[in-house]
Amino acid sequence: MGFLAPLMLIGTLALGVPVAIHLIGRRRARIVKFAALDFLMATKRRTARRLVIRERLLLAVRTLACLFVALVLAKPYTSCERKGPEVTRGPQAAVLVIDDSFASGYVVDGKPWLKKAADEARRILQQLGPEAEVAIVKASENAEHPTELTRDHLRLRDQLIALEPSARPADTTRALARASTLLTASSHQRKTVFLISLLANTGFRPDDPPWGKTGPRLVTIELRPHSLPNLAVVELRVDPASSPGGTGSRGIAFDAVIANFSSVAAKTEVSLTVADRVVARGLLELGPNERKTKRFLATLPAGARASDAVVSLTSDRANDGLAVDDRRWVRASLRDEVRVLLVDGDPRTVRHDDELFYLEAALRPGDRDDSGTVVRSITVEELARIEPDPKKAKDGKPATAAIPLDEFDVVVLANVPALPIAQVALLAQWVTAGGGIIVAPGDRLDVAAYDRTMLPLLPQALRDPIDTTWGASPEERDSRALHLVKWEADHPIFTPFSKDAPELADAKFYKIALLGPTTATADRKVLARFTNGAAAIVEASIGAGRTLLFTSTLDRDWTDLPIHPGFLPLVQQTVRHLARKHAVGQEAVHLVGGSVTIAAGDLRKLEVRGPDNIGAVFEGDRLEGRANVRFGKTERPGIYHVIGTDPTGGTRERDELGFVVNLDPRGSDLTAASPALLPPSGTEADAGPTDQARRIELWHALAAAVLLLLLAEGILVQR
Amino acid sequence: MRLDPAHIARLGSLPIKARVIVEGALSGLHRASLHGASIEFAEHKEYSPGDELRHVDWKAYAKQDRYYVKQFEHESQLTIYLVLDASASMAFAGGGLKANDSPVGVSKLEYAGLALAALAYLAIQQQDKVGFIASGTGRDTIVPPRARTTHLHDLLGVIDRVITNGAVGDASPADALARIAEQSRRRKSLVILASDLFDLDDRTLDALAMLRAQRHDISVLHVLDPHERTFPYYGLTQFEALESNHVMLVNPAAVRREYLERMETFLAHVKASLASTGIDYHLTSTDRPLEETLLDLLVARSRLGPARRAV
Repeated sequence: MGFLAPLMLIGTLALGVPVAIHLIGRRRARIVKFAALDFLMATKRRTARRLVIRERLLLAVRTLACLFVALVLAKPYTSCERKGPEVTRGPQAAVLVIDDSFASGYVVDGKPWLKKAADEARRILQQLGPEAEVAIVKASENAEHPTELTRDHLRLRDQLIALEPSARPADTTRALARASTLLTASSHQRKTVFLISLLANTGFRPDDPPWGKTGPRLVTIELRPHSLPNLAVVELRVDPASSPGGTGSRGIAFDAVIANFSSVAAKTEVSLTVADRVVARGLLELGPNERKTKRFLATLPAGARASDAVVSLTSDRANDGLAVDDRRWVRASLRDEVRVLLVDGDPRTVRHDDELFYLEAALRPGDRDDSGTVVRSITVEELARIEPDPKKAKDGKPATAAIPLDEFDVVVLANVPALPIAQVALLAQWVTAGGGIIVAPGDRLDVAAYDRTMLPLLPQALRDPIDTTWGASPEERDSRALHLVKWEADHPIFTPFSKDAPELADAKFYKIALLGPTTATADRKVLARFTNGAAAIVEASIGAGRTLLFTSTLDRDWTDLPIHPGFLPLVQQTVRHLARKHAVGQEAVHLVGGSVTIAAGDLRKLEVRGPDNIGAVFEGDRLEGRANVRFGKTERPGIYHVIGTDPTGGTRERDELGFVVNLDPRGSDLTAASPALLPPSGTEADAGPTDQARRIELWHALAAAVLLLLLAEGILVQR
Repeated sequence: MRLDPAHIARLGSLPIKARVIVEGALSGLHRASLHGASIEFAEHKEYSPGDELRHVDWKAYAKQDRYYVKQFEHESQLTIYLVLDASASMAFAGGGLKANDSPVGVSKLEYAGLALAALAYLAIQQQDKVGFIASGTGRDTIVPPRARTTHLHDLLGVIDRVITNGAVGDASPADALARIAEQSRRRKSLVILASDLFDLDDRTLDALAMLRAQRHDISVLHVLDPHERTFPYYGLTQFEALESNHVMLVNPAAVRREYLERMETFLAHVKASLASTGIDYHLTSTDRPLEETLLDLLVARSRLGPARRAV
């Protein structure tokens, strides 16, 4: 504490005045010899103490009053560290760059950080004075920026009051560049950028500085808390490649990546909600700055082909001050139905003798619609009608009985005789384009014919089959049967099975087709072998497609595999594997601020409804004649529903068109930016003093205290 | 004429003062009420030269044609004890009547002494035996009762001396009253006490009650200073006791209300106590003219029955 007029402290000698008055007053007390003193004595006991207290209070009050008067005249002051930015009042140009990224919703002391930032901005705006030309630039990514500075401070204040955290990450570099541009156009000498930001590292682009060596003066407002611990769901994906065991055909695996953007370990509860119902929960412990993947297995609601799912974090506020990034949505749909064309090489009138009896049952268990497989069975003769592209028929018109190959994902040739070269070529062309084909021999196998025509569809040439039970008695038959022993457990078609997989290993193979010698090893792989070392399943790539050769039958002619529990998952996995290019279980990922293309089809009206009443309606000119529409109002994360009206006037929600929007996970990382990332502060002539101390004059308070003391003295004297 | 103590103070010796006071007081009374008050008819004797003609019994002359003169016999003489409280508290002089050249008023002792001197004068004039006791001096000043005219001179001299010496000590009049009770056990007396009665243990009141129980006639002249009745003090004041070493620094405004309540309680207590025993009680203040105080006393006594009427 210091004094502007220390000489006035001589006035503290006046402290002796009230003391003297007090002492003299005691001596000056009028003396009265009184006869009826006994009557006073009784009252004295009650009043004497009060009188003493009053006298001492009076002495104290008067002494303090004299002391304060002297102090007031000496004008005391104290100094403290300047907390606020250096703001100079007067004509100037200034831009307030405020971080309104979703991270600005970080709760500090019970309220969003942005609220504190807006208060600070208002204070700066007030200190700049009405002559300053000011603009407010928001620092979130792709935020709308003003085009000029203004003196309309009222409007600027309204903007600050209305400021809310956006759902976008910070792009501080772009905001600073815009601020510099605005200031460049100003004629004022003094140009200042006030940066009110969380200064997250991810908001700066070191390779693209906002200005060079000469630029406006940059004043950084220190409002960033010491630490900003944050937990976030940074990624949520539906794993399309694996079918979770035990969840059935409607099961979906969700992989949520949780990140701990903090230097201390944290624990959080992770929950998965599907169709507004929490279906799974789990605890997760994360070390400092660690990321972990949490896998949830869930089943979509009955009847739904697609559903929205959200993974949420529930954690202590001390570990996670930012709630908006604790949720992440994904639109999960059951894998597309695999369309399988079964070619029956040995049709029978007795159903269970048919070559496809077991295969059809395995592909469509219970013949349910939600089995995930669409099966069409044809005979070899019908295969002659296949068309690679029905729109390109020979005469320009598609044949009415044509079998469009592109409507199928997988073709199974079950015990078919060697096909004509033309058909093989068509099939090979289709496989090369991405189709999948399974070839399984049978009694109708003619090795020579296969070698002549079927090789383009086979991974390896076939040789004559061997019957391992030939000549054996019925008792010996089973003991001489072959079994599957070695299989590629990591291959997708075997993922449902355990290492031993008795449901496969117990199956007996009595007759198998052998394979011819080959030197081609690329794109050819034996996935399983029998106990005698012969190949059981061979896979090869043909262009973008795949072919898979099963060296035994798909019915019970050569093996009893179809009646073993492993047959169904093996067949299901195999067709899905071959149809992999169609197996999409996760919709495209959309981030806040991005535009989404919606396939309008033949809809007459299309309405998008998002969270917080965000939405748009496409109809008339905006929709007519367009195959797709673009929706750009993805300002909030969450689920966006699409309601469509078809030409018949029917209006319903189009699940297949709905989508989800998530936060950009970059914005969740609140690691402090290095000071080197900040652009250099300009060297304006009036950059202002660097004095960081602020003087606080105290004499006003002391003067008020003197008045109060005088008032108290008056009251005490009257009592 | 108003006989205030200031006026009396200029009259010189106490006998003169006493006579002036009495005459002043009696000037307001109907004289007839006092004639023959202490004289009873005894017998007739034949007139001889030198007898007062006013005593000639003209009715007897008419019957017997001879002059007879009425012979009167004085009533038996009344013994009056004048008791003056001369304790230190009686020295208080605050708001009493002031002489022109005096900065303070008359003290309670002076006021009470003058009153008793006047009563002594009056009693001696009536040939009553008057005694005097001044209490509070440690050793009581006692003047035995006498009825001679020369006794008056002695009596007033003692009173004058007591007043001049001033009030000292803290003895209450109780001892003096007890002495009277002892000396006048067989003879009914009139006891007139002038005191402020600041005797918080009620010894004086008890002694008065005891005297009254012996069928003595008692009058109490309760003398207080007006400042003791109104407590008109302001500002920080240090009160010093007159009968002890007690000192009290106090803001009078803070204690005034309670003091006055206690004083009124005290007066009510005294009045009630004395009334309950049939003692004649007169409260007076030193700012009140003496002749009014005496007049009140005399009028009150005149209203009493002949048996109790002495002065």
